[in-house]
Amino acid sequence: MHTDEAVNAYIVGQLLAGESFTYDPQDRHGPALAALALPLARVEGARAFSDLTESGVRLTSVLAGTITILLFGAAVEMFGFAPCLIAAGLFAIASLPVYYDRYFIHESLFGAATFGLILSACHAWGKNSVGLASLTAACAAIMLACKETAILHFLALAVAVFVFWFWNLRRRSIGWIRPRVVLTAAAAFVFLSVILFTWFGQDWKALAALLHAVPNFAMRAAGEGHQKPIGYYAQLLTNSWSGRMLCALACIGIFQIVRKRDSSTYGFLAYYFLFLAAIYSLIPYKTPWLALNFWLPISLFAALAVESLWRMSKRYLPLRAAIPAFSILAALAVVLIVHDTRQRVFVHAADETNPYAYAHTSEDLLGLPMEISELARRNSIASPRIVVIASDPWPLPWYLRHFAQVGFWQPGQPMGEADFYITSTEAAEQYKDRLHNFRPDFFGVRPGVLILLWLPAPK
Amino acid sequence: MRRIVSINLAVLAGVFVAIAAQAQDKVPLQTQLPKPLFVGTPVPLNVPNLEPPMKGKRPDFYVPAGTVNLAKNKKITASDNSPVVGTLDLVNDGDKAGDEGSWVELGPGKQWVQIDLAKTANIYAILVWHFHSQARVYRDVVVQVSDDATFKSGVTTIFNNDFKNDLSLGAGKDLNYVETYQGKLIDAKGVKGRYVRLYSNGNTTNKLNDYIEVEVWGKPAA
Repeated sequence: MHTDEAVNAYIVGQLLAGESFTYDPQDRHGPALAALALPLARVEGARAFSDLTESGVRLTSVLAGTITILLFGAAVEMFGFAPCLIAAGLFAIASLPVYYDRYFIHESLFGAATFGLILSACHAWGKNSVGLASLTAACAAIMLACKETAILHFLALAVAVFVFWFWNLRRRSIGWIRPRVVLTAAAAFVFLSVILFTWFGQDWKALAALLHAVPNFAMRAAGEGHQKPIGYYAQLLTNSWSGRMLCALACIGIFQIVRKRDSSTYGFLAYYFLFLAAIYSLIPYKTPWLALNFWLPISLFAALAVESLWRMSKRYLPLRAAIPAFSILAALAVVLIVHDTRQRVFVHAADETNPYAYAHTSEDLLGLPMEISELARRNSIASPRIVVIASDPWPLPWYLRHFAQVGFWQPGQPMGEADFYITSTEAAEQYKDRLHNFRPDFFGVRPGVLILLWLPAPK
Repeated sequence: MRRIVSINLAVLAGVFVAIAAQAQDKVPLQTQLPKPLFVGTPVPLNVPNLEPPMKGKRPDFYVPAGTVNLAKNKKITASDNSPVVGTLDLVNDGDKAGDEGSWVELGPGKQWVQIDLAKTANIYAILVWHFHSQARVYRDVVVQVSDDATFKSGVTTIFNNDFKNDLSLGAGKDLNYVETYQGKLIDAKGVKGRYVRLYSNGNTTNKLNDYIEVEVWGKPAA
């Protein structure tokens, strides 16, 4: 489990224990992920943090990813049957969405809500429907309650709508959405956001905290150790053969759309993608899972290119040659994608050479609770007392959740007697008198980050 | 009485001369260090049972004059004949850089590499670089020397930090250490042997076993 997943699981654990969600932009994102994970955890039989399992909490993200795939079924009218089918298939098998759609972080749900927002907004516009406008508002509220960076998406969507109208639709007669529908959507967005952030009316301070989130995230955008070059996402998306192939297809798709001044939803999606990619690339703070936001447009553009290539091959080749040639190429492409997915998602999921495994927890850490259990068993300690001293102990609360007596201290704080001590490498020196009769065993927390488990020294 | 004093003085002078001669015969071990690749995870200082990190360059280690790296380009064998990354010849090719392509990576769990020095030698120091592009600790590092290629007889263990005896070679008392670009220097104290075997059992990042370079400093036995 990645540290961010461990933090999210801990929040679900707090909710299972009867606490309410307290929004604090310094510490956590909005409550949407926890709100979805909590009922799922209960259905799975979890009653406390220690009952949670890795697969159990990740089911929430898998469910959100599945919703994204299913939403392509509702997008056929806008994007066409074949592109939707291909794009859904790409979401289901390509390495990046498969990798991050099972991470227990907010991106998977955020992506599903974004797709829901685009679909319902387009339908609401076309049909002037109050119901669909409310659905759009609900998706927007979920996006905001997932991550505060939803504001950037709203901005990119608004600019894309304007440019799309100005460049592609200005000379055509289009129906305008009624003010009543817009007002209903705005009211629904505010209402649902308030409901979610205040955790159903239990924490009204969350609204003030939400206002403080803007300066907080503006500061974080500078990097905070996660700053990367402008071309980071382009590099991430194209650093495998399947990634290069899909990005090349997506470029063909975008070129077609822009060249034709496409008045379909593809035109709007192209502008949205370009603005969003520019925003995310210009912000120094970058993490690989944010690239999932590009996958919805990329998969649709690539699918559109595949459809166009099929049409072209039908035009220039006899059908009896076009079908087998296209089938062979499609099969090779699928094999390439599946191979890359297998390598990145299953074989080297936590390997530091995997570009998706960003500051991922080292496999080695899985041995720490096992070693404590084994030593406790050997020394007939039924419930070992474990003291953890580290300024940043994450993700240890997750890995030590099955032990009943675990305490966490900041370096320098006095702590009690324990059977096992776990210290960060920096903290150990301050406790050398206490640790005199212990021997340290190193464990890797993340690549380049070590922690020490202090065991009774052999006589 | 005067005679006794004279004899004592003569003996003392002889001892001084012998020590001086021996000191003159020793020279600092000279090895080329690779470029450091990471600043380093903070490692606790002055903590019981933990090897203190080096501040700056390692102090000189003295070996008899004429001591050379006997391992370079000698035959390497290993418990894993199909390494995950690289080839076994990388263990003693003289390249200590920590970049990709410089190391051989053996499979997960307990593994060893063995160097055949071709002749029995007096070994004074072994330098080993497992991996130095990030802070890592290799588990259960054991270094043995023997004249038997199968390490069934005449085995001398010169380093063992497998304090839990996970390798079943006997519990070791040496300390864990964090890998750095300076490598780990093991004092072999002139032990005689033809084969050097180095064990490890995964590391703090993954279960694999890496070797960038191993140097065996010694002189062919007379």
